[in-house]
Amino acid sequence: MSDKQQNLPPLPEEDAVSNESNDWIAPALSAEPPPEEEAQEYKRTYSIGVFFVCLLFGFLFAMQFKSVDITSENAVNNQLLRTQELQNMLNEERQKNDALYQELLTLKDDIARYRELSLQSGDYAAVLNNELRRAELVAGFTDVIGPGVTVTMSDSVASVAGDGLTVDPSYLIIHDNDILQVVNELRDAGAEAISINGERLLATSEIRCAGSIVSVNNNRYAAPFVIRAIGDPEALESALKMRGGVIEQLAFFQIEVDVQKSDEVLIRAYTGTTSYTYAQEYKDDVPANPS
Amino acid sequence: MLFGIFGLLLGLGLGLWFPGYFPESISAYVGIMLVACADSIIGGLRARALGDYNESVFFSGFFINALLAAGMTYFGQCIDLELEIAAMVVFATRIFQNLAILRRSLLNLNEK
Repeated sequence: MSDKQQNLPPLPEEDAVSNESNDWIAPALSAEPPPEEEAQEYKRTYSIGVFFVCLLFGFLFAMQFKSVDITSENAVNNQLLRTQELQNMLNEERQKNDALYQELLTLKDDIARYRELSLQSGDYAAVLNNELRRAELVAGFTDVIGPGVTVTMSDSVASVAGDGLTVDPSYLIIHDNDILQVVNELRDAGAEAISINGERLLATSEIRCAGSIVSVNNNRYAAPFVIRAIGDPEALESALKMRGGVIEQLAFFQIEVDVQKSDEVLIRAYTGTTSYTYAQEYKDDVPANPS
Repeated sequence: MLFGIFGLLLGLGLGLWFPGYFPESISAYVGIMLVACADSIIGGLRARALGDYNESVFFSGFFINALLAAGMTYFGQCIDLELEIAAMVVFATRIFQNLAILRRSLLNLNEK
């Protein structure tokens, strides 16, 4: 046994190894060298085994290397990619939106043209047209102008930390309920047309909390909210400013509600589309006024 | 040895050429397979150097060790215990031991 081997546990094959010859990986070692054919066979099976396992090792290693590389890259880029993806989606939707809006405008032009044409074709058409105009005015499909008020609601200037308020900080921002209250008072006071940040309120309009913003006609708006209403300016203003009314309630949280009376409030038409899927006109078979 | 190098290169090429990746969920198994492969290769070299190479021992050892390791990994995942570390340690220890034996046998050969 050589010196080097002394600090190792003795190996059973040690003698055989030290007896071995030139090849760096020794051929078959045994007390009695195997016959020629057996040695050949032995070499072949060894080669196959090592070849197979080395092949598998290489394959797995390369695949795993690629996979790990990609996985870690993904982990790093995931957030970035996600942001980009969302940005792209947003842009796409915006483009679609713009295209649809253009289409809407052209269709509205068409309608106006048809109306002009129909006007020229007789009294009946003129009557119908007048009725249509009135219906559109009521429904909110025309720009309207008239005396009214402009109500501006801004988030509270107070802060819980700075002003020592003992309220939930969420009370300091404007909620859908606050807007609803204002709109409700305006309607109660006889407002004929109302818009919020330029979005015309229809019979089907919602005013709803959508996270930190408010959804009106399925479009989202953030504070400050500018509510325009056409009606008797005095009545509208006093409805909002009455004692114990909405402005006084909101003033508790230092939410500022500014009411400006004006002789000319312009409220734009609803620019979207409406579709009634479920509601249908119901015609009563019994005449309402039998005579 | 030449066969081994040839197989390794061929496998690397195949793996790089192969389209597709391992999903993250099985990468732990592939990792343990890799270590099992490395263990088998070193073990084979050692056996070859010592002259007690046996084909059936080699293959059965490779497959059963790899399966056992994968099974332990799976079991570990089931009970939220990183059992694959145990398999890794065993494989790595064996690799070191076998390499040491191989090295000694080669050094002895060169001394002659």
